[in-house]
Amino acid sequence: MVEINNVSVTYDGVEALKDVSLKINDGEFVFVVGENGAGKSTLIKLLIRDVKPDIKKGAKSSMFVNGFDLVQLKQRRVTELRRTIGFVFQDYKLIPNLSVYDNVAFVLRSIDAPNRYIRKRVPQVIALMGLKDKIRSMPHELSGGEQQRVAIARALVNNPQLIIADEPTGNLDPRTSAEMLVMLKKINARDTTVLVVTHEHELVKKLGGRLVTLKRGEIVFDGYIEPEVHHKKEASTV
Amino acid sequence: MRASSAVYLFKQGIRNIGTNHIMSIASFFILTVSLLLIGFTAIFYANINSFITDIEGKNEVIIFLDEEADDEYIEQLGEKLKNTDNISGVSFYSKEEAFEDIKKDMVNAEDIFGYIGDESPLPDAYRIKIDDVSRMSNTLYTINSFDHIEKVKAPYDFVNILTGLRSIISVILTVILVLLIVVSLIIISNTTRASVDIRRREIDIMKFVGATNTFIKIPFFVEGFVIGLGAGTAAVLITCFFYDKLVTLLSTETTLLAAVGSNGFIPLDSFLKYIILGYLISGAVISAAGIVHSTRKYVKV
Repeated sequence: MVEINNVSVTYDGVEALKDVSLKINDGEFVFVVGENGAGKSTLIKLLIRDVKPDIKKGAKSSMFVNGFDLVQLKQRRVTELRRTIGFVFQDYKLIPNLSVYDNVAFVLRSIDAPNRYIRKRVPQVIALMGLKDKIRSMPHELSGGEQQRVAIARALVNNPQLIIADEPTGNLDPRTSAEMLVMLKKINARDTTVLVVTHEHELVKKLGGRLVTLKRGEIVFDGYIEPEVHHKKEASTV
Repeated sequence: MRASSAVYLFKQGIRNIGTNHIMSIASFFILTVSLLLIGFTAIFYANINSFITDIEGKNEVIIFLDEEADDEYIEQLGEKLKNTDNISGVSFYSKEEAFEDIKKDMVNAEDIFGYIGDESPLPDAYRIKIDDVSRMSNTLYTINSFDHIEKVKAPYDFVNILTGLRSIISVILTVILVLLIVVSLIIISNTTRASVDIRRREIDIMKFVGATNTFIKIPFFVEGFVIGLGAGTAAVLITCFFYDKLVTLLSTETTLLAAVGSNGFIPLDSFLKYIILGYLISGAVISAAGIVHSTRKYVKV
């Protein structure tokens, strides 16, 4: 669960996030949209504690992510927080000289997981992403969509409570983008909270769901929108 | 940390050397050259120190006794000198021996000393050697406090020059050594920065999935350590080869060292183990520290 109350982040005197309050319950699927400079990246950095929230005297700021109090969190415990979060990078960030299996296993190796568990878990997640026959392929042998699925497998392999996808469709064609979001919805259906940060309003409108809009560091909209496809269907039935 | 993870990280470090082979080779050569500069500076210092020590060992202080010192006192004084701190060799130099030596050394000595006869006009003396010439003044002060001392002849100027020379050389070479180490660290750090940049993607992923700083740094440390050991080994081999050649050349071609009273260069065998340890340890430490230092920008979790 994510619970942010009156949190600001300032870089060099400029407020990148201003008094933001946001609550995301376990199992929710949330889109965060906004133009460049709206504060989307800062929000992500805040959630994974890459930046610290401002501590203002008198302000009742608080911030909890997956049970961690990020206002009080000691630096040495940041790694524990991050192990509860899966991260999907915009540009996939696959390691070019590692196979699909090794790219996914890299996460578990990085957190000192036992070999036996790695050997069992990695093929499971790769199969879940429909890449069983690509398990020994190298990243350059995969399409953009397949690479993004490897990136999602990598985010998923550690059984995170929350998956943050930073512009996961940024480098994909519309059809593959839609497939990717459906994939994330499927993961969400297995009770994993998913937060997708994107600037593709159109795609979000088509899919619908909870939408948080950031503008100049502030949340200007937080609510549910109906999927456009659904509207069209309704219109056609009337 | 699990043994399997330790093995994995070690393998990653070794793999990194191959993956970034151009940077690895550049680091290896830069480090080898740096180590050789550091090593030869240290060896040069050790040799200079040894030359000075050899020359110092040739110093001799002569204590002349007055005419009132009888045989019994002379014997007592000999014991006293032997028990005095900072004196290593004590030998009695009788007035008869001194007279004979002068006669031998001087041309027409018979003519000059003919009228004196066989009785030596010279005083009895003790010849002593000083262990630590930098404490010579204190030692001579003690000697002067003994009875029946006519005069003490000591190579003050010579000692002062040597002591000053040793101090100046020590300071200069220490500064050079420290500068060389710092410069090596900076060069290695800059060289490996490019290699770290290439792996920024891996570092980012490791950071975001919750890998600890130590876990991220270990492969870099292994990489630096192994390159450092390789450069250290190369430096040992090059030093052994060239030092032997240099010593052979200088020992046969010049008699300068012998002329100033030195026993020559320190033989390689006597400091080989220090050279090996010094090169390997400093190579591994400088290289590992340099590469780990260059990761600090990205690794800060």
